[in-house]
Amino acid sequence: MSVLNTTLETVNGVVVVLPEGRLDYDAAAGFQSTLEQTLAASDKPRGMIIDCTALSYVSSAGLRSFLVGARSAKSAGVPFVVCSLSQSVREVFTVSGFSRIIEEHADRAAALAKLG
Amino acid sequence: MISLAEELALLAIEDDGAVAYTAGQAGFGMALLGACLVDLNAQGRLDADLTAVHILSRAPTGDPMLDLVLGEMGGETLLSVEQWVLQLAPQVPKLVQLALGALVKRGILAQKESRFLWVLKERRYPVMDGREQKEAKLRIMSTLLGDDVPTPHDTVLVGLARAGGLLEGFLSAQEIHRLESRIGEVGGIDLVVKGVEAAIREDQAARARAMMLPMY
Repeated sequence: MSVLNTTLETVNGVVVVLPEGRLDYDAAAGFQSTLEQTLAASDKPRGMIIDCTALSYVSSAGLRSFLVGARSAKSAGVPFVVCSLSQSVREVFTVSGFSRIIEEHADRAAALAKLG
Repeated sequence: MISLAEELALLAIEDDGAVAYTAGQAGFGMALLGACLVDLNAQGRLDADLTAVHILSRAPTGDPMLDLVLGEMGGETLLSVEQWVLQLAPQVPKLVQLALGALVKRGILAQKESRFLWVLKERRYPVMDGREQKEAKLRIMSTLLGDDVPTPHDTVLVGLARAGGLLEGFLSAQEIHRLESRIGEVGGIDLVVKGVEAAIREDQAARARAMMLPMY
């Protein structure tokens, strides 16, 4: 059983999502639900940053939850970006083609500057 | 609701009920295997990353295609999606029959035997209820013509239809050329699809190498 802890922070109306651990089949549904609920909240965020500093692994199922999050954000008109990717997570995003449809920033400050 | 693998097989049925010639090619078979792996992933039987497929449960799904694939994925050695697709390729004829059988059972296809050139037996699968096939084609078109982020299902459907040579069944060469960039952008944003594409490339390379072997 994998463990993924996800915490949320809000900075100037922008929600920063911090997944920590492994995003695999066991964790994917919960992570996806967190993203969807946050985007559907009555107090819609100005933007969403997935800060991947502590995300160590993304599987095929985990990647789908990112895709659903990106889709929900676009439907809601909320800019959706990722930042601080580890080499292994970046490789998953690059090989799968996810990086072609998602905006990536080196770190949270750069992502916030973009959405601010 | 039909499975992704059945949906892919349905796209290989032409208007006159003939099975498209592409269905006899290695690329289609590997795409069909990929669809089974994606379905098994969705049902929590396996997960995949860039290096390996991880079996999570061997509990039968009740779907003969998926259970056939899952049953063949034995052993302790971890293999990548690409390696599994190449290893499972001999199961493709059985999977195609199971997919067509499932679609007949659902009343989506009929099964008709006829004679070709008065002698050769030919089996056709006329579409009885065109709704599912039309929906699959429309979903692909809407993904390619829109600018939305695709759903996980639709990106896999586009990616596997492209890998299996099925887009040519309902899009002209000109349309495919025009949509090439969008197909590349939204088709197959999925690790299983990328593994299927790698397996197809490896299979084609192996065939090319075999052709180059000296005859004497």
